[in-house]
Amino acid sequence: MPKAPVRSKPVAVAEVILPRVSPLADVAVQGRFGADRGAPGVTFSVRHPLSIATVIARAGKGKATAQALAEYEPRWAGPDQYFVVAQGRGEGALYRELKSALDGIASVSDQSHGRVIIRIEGPKVRNVLAKGTPVDLHADEFPAGKSALTQMAHVGVHMTRVGEDAFELSVFRGFSESFWEWITEQAEEFGYQVR
Amino acid sequence: MTSYRLSSGGLIDRTASLNFKFDGKSFTGHPGDTLASALIANGVHLMGRSFKYHRPRGVITAGAAEPNALVELREGGRKEANTRATMIELYEGLTAQSQNRWPSLDFDIGAINSLASSMFVAGFYYKTFMWPKSFWEKIYEPIIRKAAGLGTASKEADPDKYEKAYAHCDLLVIGSGPTGLMAALTAGRSGARVILADESARLGGSLLNEREEIDGDSGIAWADGVIAELGSMPNVTLMPRTTVFGWYDGNIFGAAERVNDHVIAPSPYEPRQRYWRIIAKKAVLAAGAEERPVAFGGNDIPGVMLASAMRTYANRYAAAAGKSVVVFTNNDSGYRTARDMKAHGVHVEAIVDSRSESKADAGGVPVLRGRRIADVGGKKLAAGIELDDHTHIGCDAVAMSGGWSPIVNLACHRGGRPAWNDQILGFVPPDTGKDFIVAGAAAGRMLLSECLADGARAGTLKGKAPATPKCRDEAFAIAPLWWVKESHGKAFIDYQNDSTAKDLPLAAREGYRDIELAKRYTTTGMATDQGKLGNVNAIAILAEATGKSMEQVGTTTFRPYYTPVSFGAFAGPFHGHHFQPVRKTPLHDWADELGAVFVETGLWMRSSWFPLEGEDWLAAASREVVATRERVGICDVSTLGKIDVQGKDAGAFLDKLYCNTFSTLAVGRARYGLMLREDGIVYDDGTTSRLADDHYVMTTTTANAAKVMAQMEFAHQALFPELDVTYVTVTEQWAQMAVAGPKARATLQKIVDGLEMNDQSVPYMAALEVTVLNGVPARLFRLSFSGEHAYELAVPADYGNMVARAVMQAGDEFGIVPYGVEALSIMRIEKGHVAGGELNGTTTAADLGLGKMMSSKKDYIGRMMAQRPGLTDPNRQCVVGIRPVDPQDRIRSGSHILKDGDRPSMAADQGYVCSVAWSPMLNMWIGLALIANGRARHGEVVQVWDGLRGHKVMGEICDPVHFDKENKRLHA
Amino acid sequence: MLIPCPHCGTRPVEEFTFLGDASVKRPASNDPSSMEQWYDYVYLRNNPKGRFDEFVHHSGGCRAWLVISRDTETHEVFGCVTVRDYGKTKGGKA
Ligand SMILES: [Zn+2]
Repeated sequence: MPKAPVRSKPVAVAEVILPRVSPLADVAVQGRFGADRGAPGVTFSVRHPLSIATVIARAGKGKATAQALAEYEPRWAGPDQYFVVAQGRGEGALYRELKSALDGIASVSDQSHGRVIIRIEGPKVRNVLAKGTPVDLHADEFPAGKSALTQMAHVGVHMTRVGEDAFELSVFRGFSESFWEWITEQAEEFGYQVR
Repeated sequence: MTSYRLSSGGLIDRTASLNFKFDGKSFTGHPGDTLASALIANGVHLMGRSFKYHRPRGVITAGAAEPNALVELREGGRKEANTRATMIELYEGLTAQSQNRWPSLDFDIGAINSLASSMFVAGFYYKTFMWPKSFWEKIYEPIIRKAAGLGTASKEADPDKYEKAYAHCDLLVIGSGPTGLMAALTAGRSGARVILADESARLGGSLLNEREEIDGDSGIAWADGVIAELGSMPNVTLMPRTTVFGWYDGNIFGAAERVNDHVIAPSPYEPRQRYWRIIAKKAVLAAGAEERPVAFGGNDIPGVMLASAMRTYANRYAAAAGKSVVVFTNNDSGYRTARDMKAHGVHVEAIVDSRSESKADAGGVPVLRGRRIADVGGKKLAAGIELDDHTHIGCDAVAMSGGWSPIVNLACHRGGRPAWNDQILGFVPPDTGKDFIVAGAAAGRMLLSECLADGARAGTLKGKAPATPKCRDEAFAIAPLWWVKESHGKAFIDYQNDSTAKDLPLAAREGYRDIELAKRYTTTGMATDQGKLGNVNAIAILAEATGKSMEQVGTTTFRPYYTPVSFGAFAGPFHGHHFQPVRKTPLHDWADELGAVFVETGLWMRSSWFPLEGEDWLAAASREVVATRERVGICDVSTLGKIDVQGKDAGAFLDKLYCNTFSTLAVGRARYGLMLREDGIVYDDGTTSRLADDHYVMTTTTANAAKVMAQMEFAHQALFPELDVTYVTVTEQWAQMAVAGPKARATLQKIVDGLEMNDQSVPYMAALEVTVLNGVPARLFRLSFSGEHAYELAVPADYGNMVARAVMQAGDEFGIVPYGVEALSIMRIEKGHVAGGELNGTTTAADLGLGKMMSSKKDYIGRMMAQRPGLTDPNRQCVVGIRPVDPQDRIRSGSHILKDGDRPSMAADQGYVCSVAWSPMLNMWIGLALIANGRARHGEVVQVWDGLRGHKVMGEICDPVHFDKENKRLHA
Repeated sequence: MLIPCPHCGTRPVEEFTFLGDASVKRPASNDPSSMEQWYDYVYLRNNPKGRFDEFVHHSGGCRAWLVISRDTETHEVFGCVTVRDYGKTKGGKA
């Protein structure tokens, strides 16, 4: 979205829902950065727009929640608590779907706008993440599919390994710009690509 | 200058030359050199001046313990003081300056201190600068500061980057000598995750310095083979240039990696240093042993150095410490130096062995048994020696060996004390448990074969240790010799602090008999080297002076850091721009477009005021208040904490958290809540709305959002686990804006979809789920902090800026203004609403005038303690309004309230002003104050005394609601 | 120091917030006669040398309240359980 003063200009209210604007729209500029020799050590991309929901099991419904969520590839986010992440869904659609599927079993909160998911992948991904998290990222300890709650650069991060050399980092929206600046700087020595 | 570079040998690359400067003078060296070895090879023996006496000093060691050859490395913002020349890898363009001398190293005026040296005995500073007390700050301290000190720090910002990182392993091996290599190889071959760290650029440890034989080849060849094999293992990480400086709880090790200290400037993308936290399942300390000096006259004159250092310079760096050498030793290892120097073609005059017999191989060098060096001649370079029997021997270099001290530092970082071992005459490490093994020379094992076997054992994580390669052992025997008392000249114990052998008996005589006291009294063992060379000698001399054993005297406490670590490494990237993360609201861009001035609130950036041209903050905030109260204003309130509370017991849970009741709240309505601490003091406040039977959304103050969440987690998990409730922060999901003023409804009506907004459809304290702008989901609350007819509109954050722009557009015809937290604060003070100034951790609900909110029908956090007599005393300070009697006067926040006529005193204090504002509606300064029994004192005229500014005005205690007392505007 | 969070695995102490003595138990009664128990609950905390059970919040991780049992002198960690499990097994003094 253009950043223009709007005080005197009319707002064009379309007949469709407004487009979503990522807080990293002007920050995550595509291109090659840092050390420029050889292939980039890591590649960053911002996954946006996404549908994200927190699911928390109600008392005694931990198992039922896990079962009901199985098809959604839930990401562990604490005891009996998960993130469900989906792409290409309409505004609020995932939230409504989960709310009805989990009625009486779990609480669902829409977090689609509240969290920003940054994907980082490439041969140097562990080296970059080790500059932030104390979690052991060796594949034997942290295999693909596993998630952890941790902190990097004083920011709370929900981290999921999505592949051998690929992770997704979910942070509060408000910290996303600051976090982006920090983590890309940690990748400078290896050279990085933003897609 | 004569070349001291040996014509062959060494681990230097003679095919390449490196240019460097020391004290402005140009020299050349080779890759593989250190600054110290390159200076020696260039015949530069004088490298520094001593701390107290400004005596000329050269290198003593070839490694980390160096106390003398400290230099200022690099220039400008990259300058680093007190850097050990022995640890600096030579690079093209290196510049270094000597320290602690003026005007030059060669001619140093401070050396006059040496003439007055009888003054500088132990405890000199304490004895001299004690009285009068008033002299300390202005006179004595500046003198001491000027006289003391080593290098000077740069005043420019360091331009380089620093990093922090974590590492994990099954086995951390500290030190890459024979023990460490064997341990890493054994563990690496078993498939374990191994990290091998060594402070040197080249791995191999002592094998690089000595002429050893392993597996029928040279020690160096064996080391290179092992390192190549380790390098090919994916489960092994080699970390050269990395000093492991501390051992911490949980087997966590701190390490500093000098990533780019060996180049003139790092690439802009790489850090200079990296601070590691290594989480190790097991670790091996294979740090080796440190040779000790002997205390004799002139043992600090350039040319005098440790025997192992002298042969290291020859063997590893092909640099001869002198042309004619005398070796002085109390143990067999000194003989190696004589043999090695001779093998390199350096003349060795004699071995002076303090023992009457020895089986060691002198390699044809004459041995003077049972003799000791009393004094060394010369000033800036050794010029012969005098023995205890007054024999003179000519030489320009002296190699000394007083024995070996296992490097136990890390093993003692968690409180263990080392034990004295009479066999090797050294302190050996304490029990370090099963996950940290001290091995090899660090454990007091002095033979190469023992070290290899020890390393293999330490590297065996399961099963049986493998066989170790064959090697040739050097015998090791030693007899005590600490101090040659026949010396005439100064016999130094601690080179860096210029403390001498005589200082310790003096300290003991004056009552400083405990080693920790003697350390501080004599300064022995302080400063950058922490007594690595001198401490054992000091302990021995103190033991003799006090008639105790070595064990009884014991060591001082070993603490991290093993060697100095730069502040940059500690700070890592977390300075300047990255000092702390910045948190932006979803309406940040909208506010920024409108020229908002942002203020940091915790980590949040909040729009504080929106100045028009020429306006200061007060003018802008005042205009925003007037416009909002007269027309309509919009304010970003996204930073308020928002917590989704769901579950069948959600209401019951909120009833526990708040002093008032939420289980009775109707769906679609909001209620103000007050949260207490368990001690009865007010903790937080905010409105909570009920969206469904089992779904509430509560709000917290911006400042307490995280703390309230933690309190909820504790309350549920620890206190009321039986409740079926879930809660999660949704603060960031919503962009929330307050729209306030007489035209608020008319403005919002234009963007809300399909809802006729009136007092029936959106009554005061309504909480509705609606859509805006053709389908954007939204929550609409009719709440007011300003006292105006007002709403809060929340939309999913990605739409925030667009919706706020749309609200601005919709309100344009009414003259809408954006307002910031300053205007918000003015309006709440005008209305007497309490906020941070009043919710300050000392006030009760009753103090705030909210006592009636406290339910008597249920249990809640803080209920019982709030009933304590001290919290229900009617004379407690409670919230009132305060305004100046003369409307021209200004009252200031923090001012104390005194009765008319009273003088300021603790006894006369009636309370204080917690919040003030210039009220554009009332055209005067107004405030809220906490005043003893204040509610009964409306109308009383008091002094408002600002002791900080020496300012006093007369004020009148009044109702906290300064504006629109009847609350007519809320429902207008 | 490393703390074995039952949910997250072993993490460094920097991720945790300590709240002290876990043996305290909130009185069930709101009767004025229980005031003494309330004073103890709010203000009395043990601080022994040696083995000690403490409340700790995994504030930089899963946000669970835990009870860690450790030696305050050596920092040896004996175990760490959720505050719920601790309540079920240990109770704590009233
Ligand atoms: Zn956890």
